[in-house]
Amino acid sequence: MLNWLDSRTGLVTMTKDFLTEDVPGGASYWYAFGSATVFAMILQIATGIFLTFYYSPSAATAWESTKYIIEKVPLGHLVLSLHYWGATAMIAFMMMHMLQVLLWGAYKKPRELQWIVGVILFIMTLVLGLTGYLLPWDLNALLASKVAIQISGSAPIAGKLVLLFLQDGSGIGTLTINRFFGIHVWLTPAVLVLLVGLHLMIFRWNGSAGPPEDVMPKLKPGRFWPDQMFMDTVVSFAMFVIVFALALFSPAPLDAKADPNNTQFVPYPAWYFMALFSLLDVVGSIPAPPDIINFLGLFVTIVFPTLLIVVLIALPFIDRNPSRRLSRRPVVLTCTGLVLGGAIILSFYGQYHVMDQQHLHGVDVASASTANTGRYAVDTSTGGNAGGAAGGAATAGGAAAGATVFTTNCAGCHGATGQGQPNIFPPLANNPVVTGPTDKLIAIVDHGLSTPITVNGGNYSGQMPAWKGNLSDAQIAEVLTYVRSAWGNKAGPVTTAEVTAAK
Amino acid sequence: MPHAESYVDPGTPEEQSRRTFMVNAVMALGGVIGLGLAVPLVTSLVPSPDAVGNDWSPLTAEEWAGLQKATDKPIKVSFSLHEVDGYLPPADTDQFVWAVKATEADFKAKRPELFAAGGDKLPYPVGYLGFTIFSPICPHLGCRYSWVDAQNKFICPCHGSEYTNLGEHLAGPAPRGLDPLPLRDLNGKAELTWIEYKQNTPDLVVLRIG
Repeated sequence: MLNWLDSRTGLVTMTKDFLTEDVPGGASYWYAFGSATVFAMILQIATGIFLTFYYSPSAATAWESTKYIIEKVPLGHLVLSLHYWGATAMIAFMMMHMLQVLLWGAYKKPRELQWIVGVILFIMTLVLGLTGYLLPWDLNALLASKVAIQISGSAPIAGKLVLLFLQDGSGIGTLTINRFFGIHVWLTPAVLVLLVGLHLMIFRWNGSAGPPEDVMPKLKPGRFWPDQMFMDTVVSFAMFVIVFALALFSPAPLDAKADPNNTQFVPYPAWYFMALFSLLDVVGSIPAPPDIINFLGLFVTIVFPTLLIVVLIALPFIDRNPSRRLSRRPVVLTCTGLVLGGAIILSFYGQYHVMDQQHLHGVDVASASTANTGRYAVDTSTGGNAGGAAGGAATAGGAAAGATVFTTNCAGCHGATGQGQPNIFPPLANNPVVTGPTDKLIAIVDHGLSTPITVNGGNYSGQMPAWKGNLSDAQIAEVLTYVRSAWGNKAGPVTTAEVTAAK
Repeated sequence: MPHAESYVDPGTPEEQSRRTFMVNAVMALGGVIGLGLAVPLVTSLVPSPDAVGNDWSPLTAEEWAGLQKATDKPIKVSFSLHEVDGYLPPADTDQFVWAVKATEADFKAKRPELFAAGGDKLPYPVGYLGFTIFSPICPHLGCRYSWVDAQNKFICPCHGSEYTNLGEHLAGPAPRGLDPLPLRDLNGKAELTWIEYKQNTPDLVVLRIG
C-alpha cells in the first residue's frame, strides 16, 4: 500500500527525508519553541475557520454574531476562547523563539535570510493580533482599535493615506470591520503560511544552529524523528492543555456593543501591545510644552517601533561579530536585555494605568482586571446597542433608573456587569438568589449580609452593608428590577410596594 | 539525503525501546490534541434548536376579514410573520398562506391519512375557527404553488404537482398532499404560525414548529 503510494507520489520518501534530519548535539527541549509556534498557528487556523461559520463582519452583525457564538452555538464559546487564548500562546511562543535566536546568535551567517523571514513572520503575527482585536465589535474592540488606527494615521507623510486605507474611509465603521476581516482571515494567514514554509525550507538547508558555541564540539548526531519530534509534541501538548484550561475557566470576554459615544469605557490593549501603549502614556506625563510632547509621542509610537523593526531586520548585517558565545557578545545582549526589560516594566506600568483609569471612571479595579483576563459578561440593558438588536427585552420602567442606582452603589463590589469578585462578593449575573423569591432578596438588600454565602458552589465571605435607610424603597425596587433583568437574568420586576411591605 | 544512513542504524536495544516509547507517545499526545480540538470544532457545527423560528403572528382585522372570504375556493392570505433568523434582530417578514373554508370534519373526511395512527400525526388541531390553512410550500421540492381557478385545483409551477382545494394529491411527482398549518383564536384575535415540514416524504415529518 505504502509502496504503491510512494512509487506514484514519492510522499513516503519525502516524509522519511524530512524526518531523518540530524539534530546537532541530540534532541533538546530548547529547540521546541519554533515548532510550538507552528502548532499554535495551526490551532489558530483551525479554530478561526470554524468561527467564520458563524461570524459576520459588518457593523450590524459583528457583535451580534459574536454574541450568538458565545450564547447559542454549541461549544461556540469554547471555540472562540480557544482562538482567543491561542493567539496569546502563538505570540508568547513566537517571542520566546525569537529571544532564543537572539541570545544564541543563531541569526548569524549563514542564517541571515532565515532570521529576516522570521522578523516578517513576527510582524505578520502582530498584524493578525491587531486586526483580530476589532472583529468582536464591542466597546473595547472599537476604542482600542481606534487608538491603534489613529496612531498609524499620525505617521508623517503617509499617515493620511494609511488612515484612509485601514479604515476604508474617513471613519471606523462597517467597511473597516470588513477590511480588517479580510486582512485577518485571508491576506495575513495566506502570507504567513507561505512564509512559514519558506522559513522551514531555509532552516532545512542550513540545519539547526545548535548551542551557542564557536567551535562546534564533536556532537553525536541526534535524530529528529522520533527524538526531537517527541519533545516538540510534549511542549505543544502542554501548550494545548494550558490554552484549553484557560479557554474553559477564563473564556473570551465580550463587552457591550461598540458605541462611539461611550465616555466611561477604558479600552485596554492586548498584552503584547501594552508596552507601546504605555510608552505613549509616559511621554504624555512629561512636563514639557505641547510641541515637544507631540514630537515625542510621534517618536515613541511611529519612529521608535519602525527603527526597532529596521534594526531587527538588519541585525545579521549590523552585528558583524562572528562569535556566537554569550560572553563575547556584550553589546547585542545588553541591548536585548534593555529592550526586553523596558518592555516588561512598561507593560506593568500600562496595566496599572488601565486599572487606574477604570477606577477613575467608576469601574472597580478587581472587576476591571477580571474583564481584562477574560471574564465574560454581556450587558444587554445598559450597553449602547446602536443597532437596537440586543434581544434584551426592555423591562419595567424602573430598570433604567435601577441601572443608575446600581452603578453608584453596587457596582463597586458586584462589578459593573454583575460578575462579582471571586471568594469575596458573589456574582449577580446567573445567580439563583437574585432571580429567586423577592422577599429573600429584599431582606438581603435591606439588612445586608455579614455571614458567608454560597452561590453556584462558590463561597463568598464579603460583608454587605444594610441599605435600608440609605436607599429609598423605590430605589431598592428599581435596582432589584434592574439586576433581575440584566446580564442574562430573566426574572420579573420588584415593586416599591413589595419593598415597603417587607419588614 | 546524507543523513539517511544514520536513520537506518537501529541503535542499541535500549535506544530502540526508548524510540518505540517516543513514537507511541507522539501518537498518543497527537491523538489527544486532535480529539480535544475536533470535539469542540465539530460540535460547534450542530445547528442550535432556536437558531431560526417564529412566534404566533396575530392577523390584523383586515387580514382576518380577508381570510373569512375564503369559501370552497381557496384564497391567499397575506400576513406578517415574526421571525428569528440566527443572530439577526427578530423581524416581521411578509408571508402568505392558503385558506379554505373547511371544518375539522370536512378535512378529516378528505385527508384521512393525516389522522391515521391514533390521529396524532398533526401536532395541533386543524379546521379550527372553520378554516383550514395550508403551508404555501409544495411538499414535493419546496416551490410555491398557486390556485388555478380555471382548473379548480392547486398547481405547482415547478414540476406540475396538482392538489384539490383540500390539498388532496391529484397528479404530479409530489409524494403527499398539501401540509396544513395551525390557526388559533387567542383573546379574540386569529393567530397563525409556521411549521416547517420536510419535503418529498410520503409522511409528514415536522422539522420545526414555530
